Amino acid sequence: MTGYQSYYLAVKTSNRDFQMKMEDMPLSGPDNTRLEALAHDIYSELVEDACLGLCFEVHRAVKQGYFFLDETDQESMKEFEIVDQPGVDIFGQVYNQWKNKECECPNCKRLIAASRFAPHLEKCLGMGRNSSRIANRRLASSNNMSKSESDQEDNDDLNDNDWSYGAEKKTKKRKSDKSQNSPRRSKSLKHKNGELGSGVGAESYKYNYNTGISYETLGPDEVRSLLTTQCGVISEHTKKMCTRSQRCPQHTDEQRRAVRLFLLGPSAPTLPDADAVETDSFDIPDPQPLMSRLQWEDSDISPTDSASSKASTNHSDSRKPKKKKKPSLPLNSGGGGSGSGSLAGGGGSSSQSNISISTKKKRPKLSAPPISSIYDDLA
Amino acid sequence: MCQDYIYDKEMEQIAKEEQRKAWKMQASVTTFVCPCKCVPGIGEKYSTWEPTKRELELLRHNPKRRRITSNCTIGLRGLINLGNTCFMNCIVQALTHTPLLRDFFLSDRHKCEMQSNSCLVCEMSQLFQEFYSGHRSPHIPFRLLHLVWTHARHLAGYEQQDAHEFLIAALDVLHRHCKDDNGKKANNPNHCNCIIDQIFTGGLQSDVTCQACHGVSTTIDPFWDISLDLPGSSTPFWPLSPGGDGSALNGESHTTGATALTDCLRRFTRPEHLGSSAKIKCSGCHSYQESTKQLTMKKLPIVACFHLKRFEHSAKLRRKITTYVSFPLELDMTPFMASSKESRMNGQYQQTVDPFNNDNKYSLFAVVNHQGTLESGHYTTFIRQHKDQWFKCDDAIITKASIKDVLDSEGYLLFYHKQFLEYE
Repeated sequence: MTGYQSYYLAVKTSNRDFQMKMEDMPLSGPDNTRLEALAHDIYSELVEDACLGLCFEVHRAVKQGYFFLDETDQESMKEFEIVDQPGVDIFGQVYNQWKNKECECPNCKRLIAASRFAPHLEKCLGMGRNSSRIANRRLASSNNMSKSESDQEDNDDLNDNDWSYGAEKKTKKRKSDKSQNSPRRSKSLKHKNGELGSGVGAESYKYNYNTGISYETLGPDEVRSLLTTQCGVISEHTKKMCTRSQRCPQHTDEQRRAVRLFLLGPSAPTLPDADAVETDSFDIPDPQPLMSRLQWEDSDISPTDSASSKASTNHSDSRKPKKKKKPSLPLNSGGGGSGSGSLAGGGGSSSQSNISISTKKKRPKLSAPPISSIYDDLA
Repeated sequence: MCQDYIYDKEMEQIAKEEQRKAWKMQASVTTFVCPCKCVPGIGEKYSTWEPTKRELELLRHNPKRRRITSNCTIGLRGLINLGNTCFMNCIVQALTHTPLLRDFFLSDRHKCEMQSNSCLVCEMSQLFQEFYSGHRSPHIPFRLLHLVWTHARHLAGYEQQDAHEFLIAALDVLHRHCKDDNGKKANNPNHCNCIIDQIFTGGLQSDVTCQACHGVSTTIDPFWDISLDLPGSSTPFWPLSPGGDGSALNGESHTTGATALTDCLRRFTRPEHLGSSAKIKCSGCHSYQESTKQLTMKKLPIVACFHLKRFEHSAKLRRKITTYVSFPLELDMTPFMASSKESRMNGQYQQTVDPFNNDNKYSLFAVVNHQGTLESGHYTTFIRQHKDQWFKCDDAIITKASIKDVLDSEGYLLFYHKQFLEYE
C-alpha cells in the first residue's frame, strides 16, 4: 500500500517546492498580489486535481489487485529480445536451418516437404501444365464414368486404364501421366477417394479410371466379339465388364465362362481353356502368330502397366500347371440352369469352332522376369 | 473504519454507464481521434481493460508474461518458401504488419459465416495468431496457399508470380469473404463496410474536361492501389504536364537529381490531353470534342499502396525498369487530392501547407522489393515495427535493418499508413 502513498508524497513535495519558489518572487503592487493569488489558487487546484487523479488511479489499481500485473520476469524479457548480429536472424537462429520442414497437404493428406509443397499442390489440384491435359483426356475417354465408382476401385481397374472398348490406344501419353501418378500416389488416393470428391472440383479429379464396358449398352454381336478378345467378367461393384485380356489374373476362367453364358446364352462360345485336354496338343504354338501376338499384347498394355502385366503374367505362369490339370468340358459345370445335355451338345459344336480360334490365341509363354513388384506394397 | 478509500462495485457500474451515455451524446457533436473504428459513426468511450476476479487469480498464479516492448520479437516471424512463393510471403508480411488489420484480427472481430473450412479471412486470423504466438521457427503458410489457389484460380500454379497481382487477388478474396461480417452484403456492393474496404479502398476521381465548352464530367472509381509509371519506360515521363506548369522542365530528360515518389504522383495527377483520335462526346455542348483528362484522389484509403510499374510489357519489349525512385518516410498527399485541385482551379495556385491539417499525412510502414529479372527474381520486404524499427523479411530469415537500407532500396510496392485516423 505504500506505493500510492509514495506517489502522493512525491507530488506534494514538488508542489511545495513550487509554492516556495512562487513566494520567493517579488510582488509588484497590491493589484498584482491579488491576481497573483488568484492565479496561484487556480494553479494549485489544477495540480491537486491531477495529483489526486493519479493517486486514486494507483490506489484503485492496488486495491483491485492489478497494479503489479504487467510486470514481467527477467527471463521472459530476455527470451524475446531482438538479436542484431551478423549471421543470425532476430531470434538468434542461424540461417538456412529450415530444410526439413514438412506439412500436410489439404488435398491428399500426405506429408510433403515444405519447400516442395507448391509444385506438389499444383499437381494434386490438377492445375499443372500436364495435369489438366491428363484430366481432360481421361474425362473425355471415360464417358460412362461417375465419381462414386472410383470408390470401389481395385487393382484391376487400375490396369483397365488403357483398355476401353473401341477407344484410342493412347498408351504412350498415358505413360507420362502414369509416371507422375506413381503407384504409391494412386494407392493413397484410392483410399481417400471420398474426400477427393468433396474437395476442389472436377479439375482436381485426375484419377478417373476407365473401368470397363457396360454390357447393357452393347448389342449381342458386339458382346460376342468383345468376349472373344477380352476377359469380360462383370465386376460386382461397377457392373461393368473387365476389359483385360482373357488371361486376366483378377478373374478365374469359371467367372469368364459364367459371364459368357449369362450374356450370350447357351450358344456361348467356350473359352480356350474349356478344352483343357486338347490344349496339351496345342502346347507348341506356331511361333509366328505367337510372336506377333506377343508384341501386340505388349503394346496394348501401356508400358507403365507393364509392371502390372508382368506381375500378372507371373501369376498366370504359376497358374499354368493348374489349368492343365483341370477336367475337360467344364462348360457343363458352369452351365447351371438349363439342361446340361443340350448345353453340352450346343457347347460341343461351338467348341469345335472355338478350338481353331484358340490356336491363334494361344497363351503366350511370356517368361517375364519376376519384378520386385511395386504391387506387393499395394496389397 | 479503516479510513481508506474503497471502490464499491455497484456504484462504479452506475458511474461507468452514465459516463458512457454522456460520451455518446458528445460524440455526435465532435470528432475524436481513435485508432479503433469499431462502430463507425457512433462514439464509444474507450475504457481500459480491467481484469475480473477470476482473471486476477489466473494471472497471479502464472507470473510469466510476454510483454511487447520495443525490443521484442513478438509480432515478427519468418515464412517458409513453399517453392517460388516468395511473392506471397512478402505480401503476407506487409499485411500482418498493417496496424489496423492487426488490431482487427487480434481483437477477434471476424465472425465467420462460411460453412466450409475455406474462409480466407479465418485463415488470416489464424496467421495473426501464429505471428504473435512467440514461436521462433518460421511459419509454413501451406493452408493459405491452398486457399488462395482455390479462390483465385488465375494465380494458381507453380511458377513465379507477381506480388502486386497477388496483393490485389488476396484483397479481393478477403473482401468477398468479409462481406458476411456485415450482413449488408446484398445492399450496396459499392459501399461495403468490411474491414478491407475500410482500410484499403480509396476513390479515384477522373475529370474529363471538354475543350470547347469547358464542361467537366466526373467519375469516381474505387481503387486498392495506385500504379505509377516510371521514367525509363517507353512512354515518356517528362514533361509532367502539357505546356509545363512553371516548375517542370520542358524536354526529354530531367537531370536534376533522382526521381521522387512525388514526381511520379504529379505525373499521375497531371492533366492529360486526349488526342484527336479519342474525341469524347460532351454532354454539355453535344458534340465530339477534344478533351483533357485528369486524375486526382477523391478519397484516400487508410493504407495507400503505391505500385511502381517496374515491369514493362509493351509491344516493343519486356523488361524490368530499375530506375531508382526515392520515396519519403512521411508523405503528404494534399497536393494530389481532388479538393486541392479545385482550389487550384479557383485561383489559389500556391497553397500554403496547413500544418494543422492532418488528414493527408502518411507514413511508410512496408516496402516490397524485387531483385532479379522479369522472368526470375526474388521478393523481400522491409517492414516497420514499434514506430521506428525496421526489419528485413527474406522468406524465413528476419533481420534488423536500418532506415537507410529501406530508403536506399529500389522499391516496388510501397505501403503508407495514415498517421491520424478519424471517425467518419
